[in-house]
Amino acid sequence: MPRFFLHQPRMPWFQRIAVIVGLFFVALGQMGTARAEELPSFVHNGTLTICTNPTLPPMTFVKGQDVTHPEGFDIDVAHFLATRWHAQLSVITMDFTGLFPSLGAQRCSLVMSGIIQTPSREKSFDAVPYQDTALVVAGRANTPALTSMDELSGKDVAVESGTSYVTRLGIINNALVAAGKAPMVIQQYPTEEQVVQQVLIGRVFAFVSQDVEIFFRMRQLQGKLHILLTPDIPDYRHFAIYLRQNKQDQALLQTAITALETDGTLATLRNKWSITDQSTKNSVNTSSATSIFDWNAFFSALTSTAFLHGALITLAVALLSHIIAITLSVPIAIALNNPKRSVLKIALEGYVALFRAAPTLLQLLFIWNAVPQFFPIFREQWFTPFLATVLALSINESAYQVEINRSALSAVDPGQELGASALGLSRRDIYWRVIFPQAFRIALPPTINEFINLLKTTSLASVISLQELLAVTQIQVARTFAFTEYYAAALVYYLVMVFFFLFLQKRVERRFTWSDRKKVVSNAA
Amino acid sequence: MQHESTATSMISVRGMSKLFGDFVALDRLNFDVKKGEKIVILGPSGSGKSTLIRTLNRIEPHDSGTLTINGKLITDKTDPIQLRCMVGMVFQNYNLFPHLSVLENCILAPMRVRGMTRIEATDLARRYLNQVGIPDQADKYPIQLSGGQQQRVAIARALCMQPEVMLFDEPTAALDPEAIVGVVSIIDELAEQGITTVCVTHEMAFSRRIADHIIFMDQGKILEITPPETFFTSPQTGRAQNFLNQMLRY
Repeated sequence: MPRFFLHQPRMPWFQRIAVIVGLFFVALGQMGTARAEELPSFVHNGTLTICTNPTLPPMTFVKGQDVTHPEGFDIDVAHFLATRWHAQLSVITMDFTGLFPSLGAQRCSLVMSGIIQTPSREKSFDAVPYQDTALVVAGRANTPALTSMDELSGKDVAVESGTSYVTRLGIINNALVAAGKAPMVIQQYPTEEQVVQQVLIGRVFAFVSQDVEIFFRMRQLQGKLHILLTPDIPDYRHFAIYLRQNKQDQALLQTAITALETDGTLATLRNKWSITDQSTKNSVNTSSATSIFDWNAFFSALTSTAFLHGALITLAVALLSHIIAITLSVPIAIALNNPKRSVLKIALEGYVALFRAAPTLLQLLFIWNAVPQFFPIFREQWFTPFLATVLALSINESAYQVEINRSALSAVDPGQELGASALGLSRRDIYWRVIFPQAFRIALPPTINEFINLLKTTSLASVISLQELLAVTQIQVARTFAFTEYYAAALVYYLVMVFFFLFLQKRVERRFTWSDRKKVVSNAA
Repeated sequence: MQHESTATSMISVRGMSKLFGDFVALDRLNFDVKKGEKIVILGPSGSGKSTLIRTLNRIEPHDSGTLTINGKLITDKTDPIQLRCMVGMVFQNYNLFPHLSVLENCILAPMRVRGMTRIEATDLARRYLNQVGIPDQADKYPIQLSGGQQQRVAIARALCMQPEVMLFDEPTAALDPEAIVGVVSIIDELAEQGITTVCVTHEMAFSRRIADHIIFMDQGKILEITPPETFFTSPQTGRAQNFLNQMLRY
């Protein structure tokens, strides 16, 4: 069964607060100037915050190098909404699967990401439709068109994970099985451009998406794709803006959308983004369409500010998290090496066991999406994806680092402590002057190893919208479809960073010329 | 036998016991060491010799009885740093700091504990490294030295704290015969200079030569405290007799 992330457990007090805030604005509206329109409760402090996954052109995507500023039909609509409510627009970009949890955690006012209006989503969130669409099955140019969904029986079909298409394909599969036919083999991918790529490289027979995006891809890929089937499914007719359940807010948003439709704004935007243009003539420029490896695209990615910025975020997150993790882990390791049992020791053992056992991705999602439901302070603006990632990775890494430090400290001959205390050195000096320098050398290679792992683990943080190197790469690939070139550029960045730290490790190790092997030999003599 | 504490007594032990769980490691010991006196502790393995010497600088705190060093009653309230400035110790396995050079091994404690400047501490260290016969090894690391040389560094390192008492815990047990001669002659020399010395060893000839008194222990108890001539020629207890027979046969 497809996973369903969308049913957020709802806290009644959320609603209560929402109602109180709503009433407050109602009161404010009535007291204020006569013509001032009522503000929806999701506009906070004059800011309208939307969550979007900018890998769905032309609805929401990154056109240029700056991945923090997506563009598209949805973003333009959001701008008009913000203007209408005299608010500033703030756009948070993240993986598709993170959108609804973020809305539930009150991180954003609205989700605007080219999402289909479906009854199942409306059980948890309110929706306001703003654009017609249809579910479409697409394949490679030479694939013959289909007459019904049943013809997909037994074929490989790609789809973006977390989307309603996954659920829909499940329903179709159930029907196929009930009719004694083989079900479709469904492959789920986290981003839309990967879904398209599966068709282009021939791994799957077809993919499922909606018409607006496929029109764009058809132009972008210059006729390499075509529509196999447009089944009429009643549940799949509109794109909707989603908000937390609040009838008054929904009504205000509906009014605003209707106004934009009436005054022709939406029509202008549809034209601007070629929402319904099915021609493949007027193609946007693509780079990798002709050659196997486009060196120009590769070098422009390598030297782009977007990649550099992503790499710096990756590096900063890894360095900060590891420094905090080491600082936490040393006292914990010392406490755990104490042979006496104590409550503190049991608690620390529990901490280490818990954070070694729980998957890092789950910890990230927990801190970003679950914790704010219990501690509202974590949904305020200062708690950025960067901070959340550093927090999650520091805690996670400290648990691993405790084990490294514990073994390094135990590997120092107990005679060293004896010898140092016989000389009258204080506890502090015994640790800092005698034990730590020796434990440091033992701990160094596994610690650098951990750091390299951590540097690569930061890529998980794209799920909570951190714009690190891999997230930047994915967003840029969605724009250009230059998979090989952009992946290669990301690889170069990772390799350069890792090799630099390996080089550093060699240099530091060489400074410690006293080697244990020689020591054992001389002792045995 | 010197059970009376006198004004000249450097170490005075009264009814001192040490337990490890239920095991009695030291059983109500009594003895005195006068200032400048040399004591050698002999006894079979597991008799409590090393435990005894470690209680004298409180690396192993005793459980009952009293310990007085240089007139100060040593309890769990005593500043261990003050105590260890008075009592230096040399271990069987040297316990040199492998990440520090010979000179740095010697100057660390004088600088950090005694508050000497690097220049003062270095002067002092060079003097003692000279005394133990390895003035030219100051800049090497411990692993670059032989076992005998490492033990000489350990002795110099302890002396740099200018202690009143030196404790040696089987200082030659890890050395080859040639190195033993060198290390023993250094301890001989120190003893002649009048520093109070307590030494656990299995070197019989050396014990006989330097000891003012032999303490013979077995099963956590002191069985004899006698001058070496008496101990080696006419031991008073059967167990000491047995011990000597075994040592001589070996």
